[in-house]
Amino acid sequence: MSSNGPTPSTNQPAWRRALKIHAIRFFFVGGFFLLWEVASGRWIEAFLISSPSKIWLAFLKVYQSGELTTNTWVTFQEIAIGFPVGALTGIWTGYIFGRSKALADIFEPIIIALYGVPRTALAPLFIVWLGIGIWSKVGVVFILVFFLNFFNTYAGMKQLDQEFVDLARLMGANRWRLSFRVILPAVSPYIITGFKTSIPFSVIGAITGEFIAATEGLGYYIRAAAGVFRTADVFVGIAVLMIIVILMNKVADLIERRVLRWQTQSESVQVQG
Amino acid sequence: MSNSPDNIVIQVDNVSKTFQTADTDRVGALENISLDIRQGEFVTVVGPSGCGKSTLIKLIAGLVSLSGGRIICQGEEVRGLNTKVGYVPQESKLFPWLTVEQNVAFGLDSKGYSKSERDQRVQHFIQLAGLAGFEKRYPSQLSGGMAKRASIVRALAYDPTVILMDEPFGPLDAQTRMILQDELLKIWEHKRQTIIFVTHDLVEAVALADRVVVMTHRPGKIRDVITVPMTRPRNIFEIHRQPGFDEAHAKLWNIFRHELNLKNGASAAVGN
Repeated sequence: MSSNGPTPSTNQPAWRRALKIHAIRFFFVGGFFLLWEVASGRWIEAFLISSPSKIWLAFLKVYQSGELTTNTWVTFQEIAIGFPVGALTGIWTGYIFGRSKALADIFEPIIIALYGVPRTALAPLFIVWLGIGIWSKVGVVFILVFFLNFFNTYAGMKQLDQEFVDLARLMGANRWRLSFRVILPAVSPYIITGFKTSIPFSVIGAITGEFIAATEGLGYYIRAAAGVFRTADVFVGIAVLMIIVILMNKVADLIERRVLRWQTQSESVQVQG
Repeated sequence: MSNSPDNIVIQVDNVSKTFQTADTDRVGALENISLDIRQGEFVTVVGPSGCGKSTLIKLIAGLVSLSGGRIICQGEEVRGLNTKVGYVPQESKLFPWLTVEQNVAFGLDSKGYSKSERDQRVQHFIQLAGLAGFEKRYPSQLSGGMAKRASIVRALAYDPTVILMDEPFGPLDAQTRMILQDELLKIWEHKRQTIIFVTHDLVEAVALADRVVVMTHRPGKIRDVITVPMTRPRNIFEIHRQPGFDEAHAKLWNIFRHELNLKNGASAAVGN
């Protein structure tokens, strides 16, 4: 293994390097929490920053009472509906616009103008239109996710190499094969980028909606807790949101690895070599 | 090979092509081109950069629309995309998201071959291209020469009437180029598909062809068509020693020298 490597001095077993990296990361994160714990109540007022131990206790309490689960479930539903619908609609619209020059010519300025609107500013409107239940939040999630996916897909369609399309058509590809075997795979790196960047924005959308008007959900829970200075509860809410984003990213990574297999393989070969 | 007129697969009949530039000028790319290509013939097209030789094969493929004249492929006028041709572009342009096998199979899948015939043909052409063992690789994992060979057999695999090649060996180094020319001829000897091959390399043009079409600088016209009398199979690596090569090459060079003097060497060398 390492004996036939060209530069043996820099080669060390992969597990050893991984162990080192994990150890350093662990000490860094652990040190941060330790510092936080020590600082709380000594150097900084406890009600401002709470402390890891208090957050843990708060977590156990709201978990046992079922409050956390209920609110998490509501926010999860909003994202679970708004995100995939927004992503698929955005990708589809980007694709359609990329395929039709007429559509692009007509609607591109309008969409760019809409893009200029800070979309979170639309959240109050969604409350007016769709009420204070989950559907207004689904709407905000949808609009944030839609635009990111649309713009990335459309940018990819503009970069599409016409020669691939020509070749496929000369080889007799019908519309279906042209779309799914040629154009979408060619644009997939752009689509994946849009899809992945829209993940945290879907959570932002749900929380923003809940901040404005809601009776349940993690955003509602965080805002209510902050209103009465229950800082520990605020951090519990934030931690759950972080976990949601991390889990969504994990799923997106799996999708990316599958869809862009043809790319990552060659990259890893180059990086290792 | 018989040269009877009913053997003609492609008939380019008085074809012109003008491009509209931004300032409403019309630039003539091709003017009054007429050319007949016979079944099983290997025709090369040479000319200086910007003479419209690539445009000519794009017209035959139906990728670009005609400004005048007509092109007849197997008795049918070409309108829109010509799916009877196989096209090998300048760069390999393998679909990078498909494996070598899937790339070679692409044209077969689109044309409704049965599963067993498909697999058999794919395997056959992968072997022919010397890519056995690389079936599951992605194009990014191939060398330039391998990608080029895969690109060529991808066009051959589904048995199109005519293969169009647009300077396929242009960007390669001299050695790889020669090896690929040799392999192309060997593959072609098997099947004898009709090939129209665009190049700017005079040696390549003579070495590969039955006939060499010489084009002039903008607007592109056919200056001459030279028949190469060399026998087949040919040895690319010692092509200079084969009887007939020198005469054909000298003839070609004469035309070119004339062309360069006329248009002034410096301007004729400007790329497109």
